[in-house]
Parts: sequence; structure tokens; C-alpha cells
Amino acid sequence: MSIPTSPLLEREEELRALEGALASAIAGEGRVALVYGEAGIGKTSVVRAFTRLAGDVARTLWGACDPLFTPRPLGPFHDIVHGAGSPTLAALDPERDRIELFAALLAELGARPTIAVVEDAHWADEASLDALCYLVRRVDRVPCLLLVTYRDDEVGAQHPLRRLLGAIPSAVATRIELAPLSEAAVAELAAEAERDATGLYELTGGNPFFLTEVLAAGGDGVPATVRDAVLTRALGLGVEAREVLDLASVVPGAIERWLLDAVLGHASAAANECVERGMLVPNPTGLSFRHELARQAVLDAVDPERQAAYHRAVLRALEAQEDRDALLSRLAHHAEGAHDREAVLRAAPAAAKRAASVGAHREAAAQYARALRFADAIPLEDRVRLLERHSYECYLTAQDGPALESIDAALLCYRQLGDDRGLGATLRWRSLALLNWGRTAESEQAAREAVSVLERLPPSPQLAMAYNARASLASLDEDFDAAVAWAHRALELADVVDSVEARVTALGTLGLAHGMRGLQDGRALLEEALALARSHGLESHAGRTYVFLGMAASRERSLAQMRKHVVAGLDFCEERDLDVWDDILLAMRGWLELEEGAWDAAAATVAQVHARNCILSSTQANVVLGLLRARRGDPDPWAPLTAAAEVAERTGQLWWLSQVAAARAEAAWLEERPELIPGLTDAAFAHARERGAAWPMAELAHWRRHAGIVPDLPDDLTGPFAAQAHGDWTSAVEQWRAAGCPYEAALALAEGDECAQLLSLEELNRLGAAPAAGVVARRLRARGVRGVPRGPRPATRESPAGLTQRETDVLHLLAEGLRNAEIAERLVASRRTIDHHVSAILRKLGARTRGEAVAEAQRLGIQDR
Amino acid sequence: MDTYVIIRRNGWRTADDLAAAAERSTAEGSRMPDDIAWIRSYVLAERDGSLGTVCIYQASSPEAVRAHAAAAGLPVDEIVKVADTVVVRPDPVAAAASKVS
Repeated sequence: MSIPTSPLLEREEELRALEGALASAIAGEGRVALVYGEAGIGKTSVVRAFTRLAGDVARTLWGACDPLFTPRPLGPFHDIVHGAGSPTLAALDPERDRIELFAALLAELGARPTIAVVEDAHWADEASLDALCYLVRRVDRVPCLLLVTYRDDEVGAQHPLRRLLGAIPSAVATRIELAPLSEAAVAELAAEAERDATGLYELTGGNPFFLTEVLAAGGDGVPATVRDAVLTRALGLGVEAREVLDLASVVPGAIERWLLDAVLGHASAAANECVERGMLVPNPTGLSFRHELARQAVLDAVDPERQAAYHRAVLRALEAQEDRDALLSRLAHHAEGAHDREAVLRAAPAAAKRAASVGAHREAAAQYARALRFADAIPLEDRVRLLERHSYECYLTAQDGPALESIDAALLCYRQLGDDRGLGATLRWRSLALLNWGRTAESEQAAREAVSVLERLPPSPQLAMAYNARASLASLDEDFDAAVAWAHRALELADVVDSVEARVTALGTLGLAHGMRGLQDGRALLEEALALARSHGLESHAGRTYVFLGMAASRERSLAQMRKHVVAGLDFCEERDLDVWDDILLAMRGWLELEEGAWDAAAATVAQVHARNCILSSTQANVVLGLLRARRGDPDPWAPLTAAAEVAERTGQLWWLSQVAAARAEAAWLEERPELIPGLTDAAFAHARERGAAWPMAELAHWRRHAGIVPDLPDDLTGPFAAQAHGDWTSAVEQWRAAGCPYEAALALAEGDECAQLLSLEELNRLGAAPAAGVVARRLRARGVRGVPRGPRPATRESPAGLTQRETDVLHLLAEGLRNAEIAERLVASRRTIDHHVSAILRKLGARTRGEAVAEAQRLGIQDR
Repeated sequence: MDTYVIIRRNGWRTADDLAAAAERSTAEGSRMPDDIAWIRSYVLAERDGSLGTVCIYQASSPEAVRAHAAAAGLPVDEIVKVADTVVVRPDPVAAAASKVS
């Protein structure tokens, strides 16, 4: 684990502002820069980075104010004088010659370009403040940048520093407030330190110092140094105030004043003391610590028995409230802290249910887990319900291990209870979960067992769901007949027992089975299933149906349809914490981007998917990555494809096996090793043939043709692959274009006449498909066509003024009126790079301003590219 | 990280353009230090008078190479993985930019 070095993220604007102030100072007009923010926000880091950047342009003199009860008079200026190394200055006696000293100081600072730093001015002694007041009023005459840092949250209305801040002429002042780091920056630093970023932003509030301390400490506890900092400050509190603080520390978030009073009696004065000392801050709901870490530090110092006592008291106070529903998760928290088993079992499951109903499935899982920790002695019937709910919430949030543990524990309970209905339902549930984790054989076994157990009992929704489990397995293996048969049984039974959930799942599976044959067939069913699921609040089923809609559309390459469903599905699932479907939809989006020709976007999506924990999504992403590399001619296409093949083999499902085989066949062809294709596709082709699965057959036959295997396809096969396999390239091109697949369309063109091949070459070059372009170029040359380009045309040749593609992109955004910072954000590049591009654009177009550049570009017609 | 050769033919008209590109490459590289590290480059005197480069980078993946190139506005013609490095003689002294054009 690496400890992050000074995290100087997200400080570019601030450094830029400082550079501006320095530039003015060097030109002879001194400035005052105020850098402020909360403790730990990184004032020193910014100042150090800035002085490093300044380099040789100006000398830097450092002074710092002491956090002592009696600070050294003129402490920082002693440091500065020492740094300047001037003997005259050193000889002056501050007590006798104060004004003389100040004048000499000013002269020294102006002798050459200087940055004079005074740190932590909130601790400044009175003499230093006087010196600063003197200097800020005269600094504009000398080439000096006076850089003062302070903690603004410690500088209240009565604070001595206020006087100085008010004394700085506004023309001379640059005020730089440092904001906390964004969530993204926190994640970046966590990644650097190889730590999990979950909850880190909430915990640290984006405070760089706290974050660095937490990352450096490792483990779960609060690092000693932050604790020390916080506790030292707390030492200054009176006894009653300290009690308020300690009580507040067991309450996460904010503690209401009424709650303080309820537990401690009349506590306002004591609470106010905490606020004045900056230990607690008021907010709309009550009082809170400035940082979660501060709360943790105080909490750790409270001995366990007192903690439990506080929890008990808070619990009583909250339980006495009328609107307990709003307080459920707090009740659960304090119940656990009070070790009150009954209270936990009252509150936690209710809190979980509440959370699940608003789509906060992570919290729901955690609450059920909490209840289970206290559930050893409860009746089996109740415990098994908790286990089931817990496993379901874990499943939705992609926590496979805990989900399976709870499922198996539930199975045990049902066997002990002799409850076949429950046993069957849980077996069915086990089958579904395992299916999602790619463990097909186990899933099949669980589904069979579920059916046999439930068929012993009268008809039930659970049996309908078990039939559906058999149908799901069959449809993913593209065993159409079996899938439809099982799905119909499920549907009939669903109507008999009047279960909406069973109906929704059966419709979904039936729709998928038909959809595997082409979207048209399945779409009506899937859309019915989706509407039913949404209108009945069956969120997870809705998520699943979005996935099926995407799969059906992808099968026949209806990219526009697929995009519609995948995007809608992603929005739906993200809002509701449905990770399990979200992961799969994201991987599907990656595939979509690949097919649309948006290859950079596909690469970024793949990286996102791999960061998650879902094996099937990762497998889909690996197929995309392998094809991406193969199509671009980039190194290592085989590693991801082999990984995908391994998972596909384990599932044994045609849906996966055919995809992987086709991808590997394409990779082999692009590497000009068609002899590999039979070996890569024999098994999958036979499997597809056996199932009568039209699309996979056509796709695989198309690739096998390149290996010289004459396609042996049924005559009624339609679709672009079939057309190509039969040599009808014109029809194939039309179909590919209608589907929105530029790459496949270009490959189909390559099978045509000279004109088509030239078109194909241009398109492949545009896409950056170097290997395929090479194949087509060679074909053209073999036909005797002359002047075939040897590679993609150089970027600089495209535009009249010699603008590169990137510069043209920037120009478009300039024309929209965006500032450089906005352009940088839009194009995901650094501000400096965009500045360079804009300079280059102005230069190449001979323009002095951005407006001139845009006008000139319009004149040249560059805008239309 | 693996080592890659990146070929950028006919990328720039003048030495100034190339120098600007080098600055951008450095700036963008510093934003993704765990994913990419620029090792060295040879500037190519293309037949039509423009400049190209052969660049050696270390990168976490070919995708990282492309992402860096896109952010810095650099063309990418080809990426090849380096299997091994064989140094026979030290490099000739780098020509000053002004000499090339």
C-alpha cells in the first residue's frame, strides 16, 4: 500500500490566481494574497506548490505563526528576517524601533522580487498583526507578493485578524478560498493508496489532511494524529460542554437540540460553548461535528459503558417520539449501540423495509444484516424471513457471497421447519442467483429440485416461478422449444394462482426466448412485462426486463432500439440501486458503443465495468475489449477473449458460446489466420445448429466462410450475416446500414466491386480499423487498382488551415461560446492543453481574438467538418 | 505496465507544432501517471516535409495509450507491444528542433 504524497488535486484555479498576483508584483505592483479555508484543507500544500512553480522568478521568505498560548512576538517576521539574511534588519530592536523596523522590512521585501509567506495568521500575535497592517498598506509600491494563510473558520467576528483583513485595500487583495476535494478527487487518491474509496468522501468531507491521514493509517480506526488534534481542542471545554460533545458523538449526522435537552436536561449554554469552540457546527437540523472523523475521534475517547448508556438514553428519547417512521434507521443504530436486542429486532427490519421501498437497497441489506446479528434466539420462522430478505437485498446490490450464505442458511431453516413451500421457493431463488453468477450447472440443479419439491404441493406462485427458472435456463441456451414450453406452463399457472410477479417473470422469459429469434417477435411480450412490472412496483423485475430488451435488440443488431432500452434501463437501475442489472446494462452499453463505432467510449465503458464485481458483465466487457483491440490492430486481443471463453465454457450457454466464438473468429481473420477459424467455431456452430438458433448460425457461418467452409444454412435464414454468407453483399450492406453498424457495413462493402471496396476502405480508415483496411487495400491492389492509400490520411492534411482534428473539436466549442475551462471539462483534457490548442488555433487562422478565429473558420468552411 | 511503440506518421507540419504537441503530451501524461509514462521519441523526417514520430511509452494498456493520445491531440497510426529492448550503440545526439524542418 502506498501512502499518497501531497494531494494537490483540483487546485489549478487557485495556482493560476496566485500566478496572476505574482506577475503583477514582479511588474512592480505588489499584492496581498489571502489563502484560507478550514483546517487540513491544504493551505500549506498549495503555497508550497506555488512557490515551487515560481521557481527562480522570485525568492521566497517563510514565516509561520505559533499555536502557543503565548506566541513569540513578531514570530513570523523573525523567520522572514532570518531568511532574508540582512544584517541591518537583524540588528533592529522591535520594542524600541517598531516603525523603523517595519520600514526596513518593507525595503528588504522590495529589494528584489519576493514572495513573503506568513502562515496560520489566525494565531498571529498582536505585533505581527501590526506589522502586517503596515505592510499591506504599502505593498503596492514594491515587487513583493505577501501571501497570508489562515483558518477562516477560527476567525470569528471578534477575532483580531479581522482588523487586518479589513485593512487590505481591495485593489491589492487576491482572496483565495480553498474548497474541499470533490468526490472524484477523493476516489483518485484512494486508488493511489490502493484503498477502497467507499464512504471515504462522506467520512472526510473531502478534507485533504483528514483524507491523507486516513489513507496513511490504513485499517478502520481513526489515525492517531487526527484524534490528537481533535481531542486537544476538546480539552478546552468545560465539563458540561464536554458531556454535550460526548453525547453528540454517538449520534451520527446531527443531534437535535431537543434531543440534547431530553437526555442531559437544559443543555443550551453547554452546547453553545461547543459551537463557539468550533467543535460543533449548527445546521438546519441541529448540531453536528465538522467532520465525521472528528466525531469518531471523540467517540473513541468515550469508554464503552458510557457509550452504551448514551445510546440507551437517546433510544428512549427517540422512541418516545410520535413520528417513529422517520426515525427508524436511527432507532436501529442506537438500539445496537445500547445492546438492546428487542429494540434492534423492532427497528432494524422496519428500517430495512423502509429503505428497500425507497430503493436504498444497500442500506436495506445492512439493516437486515444488523437484525440477523441479534436474531439467534428468535423463532425459526422469523429468522428465515430475515435471511431471505437479506439475501435478496444483497443480490440486488451485487454482494454475491453474503447473499448465498443467507440463502443456504434459509434452506437449512426450512428443512428444519419441514416447510416445503418455503424450501421450494428458496431453491428457486437460489437457482436465479446462481444463474446470474454464471454458475449454470448449479442453477439448473437448484431449479429442478425446486420444481420437484413444489409439485408435491397444491399449485402456488412459487411453483410458477420455479417453472420460469427452468425456462430462463433454456432461453439462455437458446433452446427455444424448451424455453417456450416451460414459460407457458409458468404463465398458465400464474393466471391460475393470480400472481402478478409470476406473470411478469414468465412474460419476460417468454419474451426473451422469442427475442433471441429477433426483436420483433419478442418485443410485444417484453414491453408488456416491463409495463406490468413498473406499474406494480416490481423494480428488480423491471430491471431484468430492460436487460432482456437490450439482449433481443443486440441479437439482430437493432442498435437504435438497443440504445433506447439500455439507456432507459441504466437510468432506472442507477436511481434505485439495482446494481445487479446496472452492471449488465453497462456492459451492454459497451458493446453498443463498439458496434456504433464509438471505440474510445467503448474502451472507457469497459474499464468502468471491470472495476465492478460482476462476472457476467466482465465477460461481456472482455468480449468487447477483445474485439476493440482486434479491430484497431492493438496489442493483446486474445487475453480478454480467452478469459471470456473460459467463463462461457463454464456456463455452457449458447448465448455466451456463440458470441465468444464469433469474436475469436473475427480476431483470427483480422490477423490473417483464417485457418484457426474452424477450431474456434466448430463446437459453437454445431450447438447453434442443434438449437436451430438462426442468428448465431448465420454469424458463425459467415466467419467460417472465410476459412473456406461452404455455408450449410437453411434457405429461409434472413439477416445481413446470412445475406453475406450467400454472397449477396448489396443486401447485406443495406441491412447493416439500416441497423446502424458502420464497421460491419464496411466489411460487407469489401466483398463488392472496386467502387464498393474503395468506399469500404475510406470508411474503415475513418473508423481507425487498420487491420481490416489493410485487407481491403490489398484486395484493391491485387485487382490492379493504383494509388490506393497506404494508411489513414494524416490528420494535418484534413483541414485547410492545417488544424488537427483535436483543434477542430476545440474550435467547434469555441464557436459555441465556451470558455477554456469549460472546453477542458467537455473534452476531458487539462486546462493547459486547451490553452495550447486555442493558441495554436489563433496562430493558424491568423486571428487575434477568439471571435476572429471563429469568423475566419466559418469563412474557410472549417466549421462543417 | 508494458512497453509499447507508437507510430505517428506525418503528424505535424512544423517543428513548432511538434514542440507544442510534446508539451501537451507531458501535461496529459502527468494527469494519468499510473497509466502512462513517456520514455522517448524519434522524430521522423517524412518525405512530404512534415514530421512524424516513433514513440516509446510504458502504459497500463493499449487503451491507456489511446486515451492519452486523444486527450493530448496526438495521432495514433499503430501501437505495437515491445517484447524486448536491444541497445547496441548509444543514441545519436538529439538534433535541435530548429535543424529539423
